[in-house]
Amino acid sequence: MNSRIRFDEELENLKLELIKMGDTVMQNIDAGLRSFLTMDVELAERIVKADKIVNAFEQTIEKECLRIILKEQPVAKDLRLITAVLKMITDLERIGDHAADISKMAIFMEKTKKPYGIPEMKPMTEAATEMIRTALASFINHDVALAERIHDDDDVVDDYFESVKKTVAAAIRGGTIDADYAIYAMMVAKYLERIGDHAVNIGEWVVFSITGEHKHNLIF
Amino acid sequence: MKRDENVEGAFRIDGLNLHYGATHALKDVSVEIARNRVTALIGPSGCGKSTFLRTLNRMNDLIPNCRVEGSVYYRENDIYAPGTDVIDLRRRIGMVFQKPNPFPMSVFDNVAYGPRCQGIKDKKTLEDIVMRALRDAALYDEVKDRLRESALSLSGGQQQRLCIARAIAMSPDVILMDEPTSALDPIATAKIEELIVGLRKDYTIVIVTHNMQQAARISDFTAFFLSGELVEYDATDTIFSHPSNPKTEGYITGRFG
Repeated sequence: MNSRIRFDEELENLKLELIKMGDTVMQNIDAGLRSFLTMDVELAERIVKADKIVNAFEQTIEKECLRIILKEQPVAKDLRLITAVLKMITDLERIGDHAADISKMAIFMEKTKKPYGIPEMKPMTEAATEMIRTALASFINHDVALAERIHDDDDVVDDYFESVKKTVAAAIRGGTIDADYAIYAMMVAKYLERIGDHAVNIGEWVVFSITGEHKHNLIF
Repeated sequence: MKRDENVEGAFRIDGLNLHYGATHALKDVSVEIARNRVTALIGPSGCGKSTFLRTLNRMNDLIPNCRVEGSVYYRENDIYAPGTDVIDLRRRIGMVFQKPNPFPMSVFDNVAYGPRCQGIKDKKTLEDIVMRALRDAALYDEVKDRLRESALSLSGGQQQRLCIARAIAMSPDVILMDEPTSALDPIATAKIEELIVGLRKDYTIVIVTHNMQQAARISDFTAFFLSGELVEYDATDTIFSHPSNPKTEGYITGRFG
């Protein structure tokens, strides 16, 4: 018989809050890029504000983790799970910042209004978002193999970054891109690339939560 | 469990079975207990951990209808072999109980009791033994001006440390502790825990505890008992991070037991 039903409910709730935070972050990335590609300043401003929701998630989950540690004195897999959540929310929060950063590029571009079509931008965003989705799914399903796959998925995002760089460089050489736009587009691509890196971190904490190993070192 | 070659064995237990009448209290327990280390015995009430502790200095001999099979080697001598000097065995393997049980006599006389029984009469020698034991038990500073007062006037935590001093005065190799802090407040508990960690350099300590955090804090090795069986024995860090047996994990994470 399980004599810690309430504790298990608290842990389930913690996972649920993490998923909600992840969903909010992914929506912000998607809308953030949309605001940049369509020069939608109003949407961009909404996303910058929406980052406060992500920050609030981080604080709430952090408090909940500490409260559970204090009250329940978790050990073994329970302690790993809570520690992993504490680490993952830091990465999710940073990803949220980058979603807001992408939106800020749209706000900065307001006066220029000379967009240049970079075909890689949308699939790159989708690839980065998918990495987050995979990381969260691997956490919920205790799937080490899936979590480890995220590292390879990051190569795809990195390749997109190189591709965006080449496209923008060619456009600069050809004089077909607005100078400010070129800079902002590269910054957006860099933010997306960083989002991929944070998704890799999340995947590494998922592996830790299951095995106790972080980057192949047994730490707990 | 990966054997640490640097850790010497104190006890080697082979196929130990213990019956109280019709009750099979310990079932085929085999384990080695490390010397100069703290080993914690954990498990739910009635799992056999206290019974196991008491086999280590034959305290179960005092219980009627108690039958022991198998071997308990202490430094390569089977302590259940015929001819074992049980009195000497208990001198070398002392015990501290759950409830502090000082004798109704002075602080000094409590500690001097054992050495006196051994025939030590010289005042200076006795004093040296008592002072050293009180210091080792981290009690000296608190009782140095009260040595002639009744031990019963001490606080619960001080009484328990006095009992540890009384055990130490017999110059044992091993100290067995059966839930030594369960009757104490958190401050007194912390003092005993500090003491246990300090004592391990000179003594082998085996402690029964219901307090999982205590086992995690102070022990080097942990043995998990369930229904008379030794389910798992390993380094404490391993037990509390990666237990091998799902039953151990269930117990340490509080899911059952």
